[in-house]
Amino acid sequence: MTDLTQTARRSEVQPPQGRLAGQTFARLLQGGLIIVILYFALYALYFYQQPRALSAGSIAALMNNTVPLALAAAGQTFVIISRGFDLSVAGVISVCNVVMAVYPLDGPGGAVMSILMCVAIGGSVGAVNGFLVAYLRLQSIAATLATMIICQGVALVILNAPGGRVADWLSYELTDRLFKTIPISGLFVLAVVLAWLYLRRTSFGISLYAIGADEHAASLSGINVRKVRFFTFVSAGVLYGLAGFMLSAQTATGNPTSGTPLLLLSFAAVALGGTSLSGGKGSLFASVMGAATLMLLQKVLFSSGVSSFYTGVFQGCVLIIAVVFSGLIEKLGERAAKL
Amino acid sequence: MQISSLQAAAAKALVAESVRKAYGATVALQHADITLEGGEVHAVLGENGAGKSTLVRILTGATAPDAGSIHIHGEPYRPHSIEDARTHGVATAFQELSLVPNLTVAQNLLLPHLSRGIAGMVSGRRNIERAAQILAEHKLGRLDPRVDVSTLPLADRQRLEIVRALKNAGSVLILDEPTASLAETDWLFEQIERATERNVAVLYISHRLSEVREICRSATVLRNGATIASVSLTEATDGDIFEMMVGKKVREELSGEGRSRASGETRLKVSNLSGGTVEEVSFDLKAGEVLGIAALEGQGQRDVFRMLAGLERVDGGSVELDGKPYVAHSPRAALKAGSGVAYLPEERKTEGILAGMTAASNVVLPILGKVGFPAIVNDRVEFRMAKDAGERVDMAPRYLGFAIGDLSGGNQQKALIARVLATGARTLLLFDPTRGVDVGTKASIYAAIRAFTDEGGSVLFYSSELPELVQLADRCMVLYGGQIAATYPRDQIDEQRLVTAMTGHVDARERAAS
Repeated sequence: MTDLTQTARRSEVQPPQGRLAGQTFARLLQGGLIIVILYFALYALYFYQQPRALSAGSIAALMNNTVPLALAAAGQTFVIISRGFDLSVAGVISVCNVVMAVYPLDGPGGAVMSILMCVAIGGSVGAVNGFLVAYLRLQSIAATLATMIICQGVALVILNAPGGRVADWLSYELTDRLFKTIPISGLFVLAVVLAWLYLRRTSFGISLYAIGADEHAASLSGINVRKVRFFTFVSAGVLYGLAGFMLSAQTATGNPTSGTPLLLLSFAAVALGGTSLSGGKGSLFASVMGAATLMLLQKVLFSSGVSSFYTGVFQGCVLIIAVVFSGLIEKLGERAAKL
Repeated sequence: MQISSLQAAAAKALVAESVRKAYGATVALQHADITLEGGEVHAVLGENGAGKSTLVRILTGATAPDAGSIHIHGEPYRPHSIEDARTHGVATAFQELSLVPNLTVAQNLLLPHLSRGIAGMVSGRRNIERAAQILAEHKLGRLDPRVDVSTLPLADRQRLEIVRALKNAGSVLILDEPTASLAETDWLFEQIERATERNVAVLYISHRLSEVREICRSATVLRNGATIASVSLTEATDGDIFEMMVGKKVREELSGEGRSRASGETRLKVSNLSGGTVEEVSFDLKAGEVLGIAALEGQGQRDVFRMLAGLERVDGGSVELDGKPYVAHSPRAALKAGSGVAYLPEERKTEGILAGMTAASNVVLPILGKVGFPAIVNDRVEFRMAKDAGERVDMAPRYLGFAIGDLSGGNQQKALIARVLATGARTLLLFDPTRGVDVGTKASIYAAIRAFTDEGGSVLFYSSELPELVQLADRCMVLYGGQIAATYPRDQIDEQRLVTAMTGHVDARERAAS
């Protein structure tokens, strides 16, 4: 009986179809529309300077350069959307790097073992961070600062000076191209982005945005805030582990401080992608593009003959311009959505 | 024998006995008893700080009680989370609203059980369908389930909060100040009736006694964390209830009625002001006058206040303060302009208080500049500066040293009003200054407003509670659709007239006449 009336009612309600125009625009902006445009504009400039820029070889070289930062920024995005900061990225990458240089495992089997090792290292550091932040309620910046210092110490214990050698199979194959065109390192990033696109459509993904915007409201809505926060840090740690793995393949050698330069750049990449550092909005893909833009900028400056000492100056300026610009566009978008 | 008493207990939707909760040294709830019958609307009455919020938190599973027992339909009930409470059929519409701003209406409504599609991914379409269905069942079909909650006006967010609780309430529905942002109660009462038809027990918390009398049959009065009595509302008079709540004979009527003094010169002259949803609004505010604004939600009252306070862009028209042009680009500029204009914002939690700082710091924040740069601002200096302003709103000095976030809503609001008074501005813009505060606090706030205008100050005053406007305003204008629909002098302000104008009927009549 109730079933009947319910079905009868059901047919009366016409759920709205399709998407709202203003919202679609906002989603695209959040998804990194601006940074994608900026990237291609910069690439056009690069191509203008270096006609060889579109050759498979130079695309792959650029991709290989970009991947470690892109993965680090991807992990950072998780934590930042949940309204937190994760400094442990530098420590995890350093530890993974020295482990791979000190214990090289050759061949495809060794590569699988290495990648599992890196993921395990990153995941466990992430679990420690998650425990400290979600369950002991430490501030994320303090907790991850501690784990970063610990990891850096561990890296020095394993390898006290730059040296060692990453397995040859790894450093050759992972920087190579599939069918002479597709850079293999790019496939890793692609896999991460696809995993993200899946994850953000799961209830975990939605909860992640919810606790970033308003943790209190999220918990009153029945979301298990602690669990979501914990797994946010674990996911981020896993991605840092992958970043460390790719960085090792890239440099083919070990360095106990190899993760440090990526620390601040990972935040820069996230901000450049338009992810708000105050949590609740942003996109992993946009951060990956942010990372790509920072590395491409280096290339462009190099090919323009600008001294590499100026790279930081330019990267900082681009960051400011991009953040101001995306703020302006967002305001325009809000106004358009209102009308 | 035992069986029959068990059956009797099972008939009650909820029985809570000797519930106790202490936070450190402060006992929030000493000894609370409450019994709800299925299908009954039961009010919980008490001043701010009486323990109502703590009781709600315990029943929803947000906090665990230190002692006492709770049974639902005869079964022991000890929820350890909001989700757990929901599985027992207990759901709450929170006073502070628990909606996540950056998620859509549909997602908020269905969290944490979103419909899944392929590979466990959340299905947008199916959630929108389900949400549209739920909204339509509760007569909110006009809301689009796809929009983000942050774009909704406050009243709709409150309705959404209520609908979500209704959806999850199988046996007990808790409504904590459900009308704080609603201008009318028809929709809410209809929904409550439908819930009671399903034999859901409703726990109704509100400061508005007239409203409580309309919908509830019985009430439990809390004072200082203990149940004073459970009474039938048909028998108890307002006086009885106030006495139980406050614990002493209530001071006379809330304030001196029938005051209509000859007003002084024009302080604020607004001509053809436009911006936001407001079109060409003109009015004068005189020295020593309380000018009320009555309106349903979202008729442009917010824009008027925010434009005058320098928070929103003015698109057209002009404003004069004491005969000189007045342009404020920020609240700070508004304070500095001429004799000063101070604004009391609507949302205490997000726009008003700085939760971690003491009440004294919160009060003196705008006037810290007076201390001068090299001088050190310590607690003592702040306390001295805040004390006077605190006295004007009848705020006990001992509260000044507490972190404001730990004070009750009423004391927070007093501190905020003390803040606008302390600025020394001669014009106050008070946006719903008594939202969600108890009777005693209201009386103090009214007295402070009166004292301020007696000294020649001017007050522009919006309230969602009509009796308040009737009581306090020297003149009252009604906004409808971003325009002034009518303005009434003191002797013509009554609720009937205001409601007619607020719903736009004056406009129609005038148009018909012309």
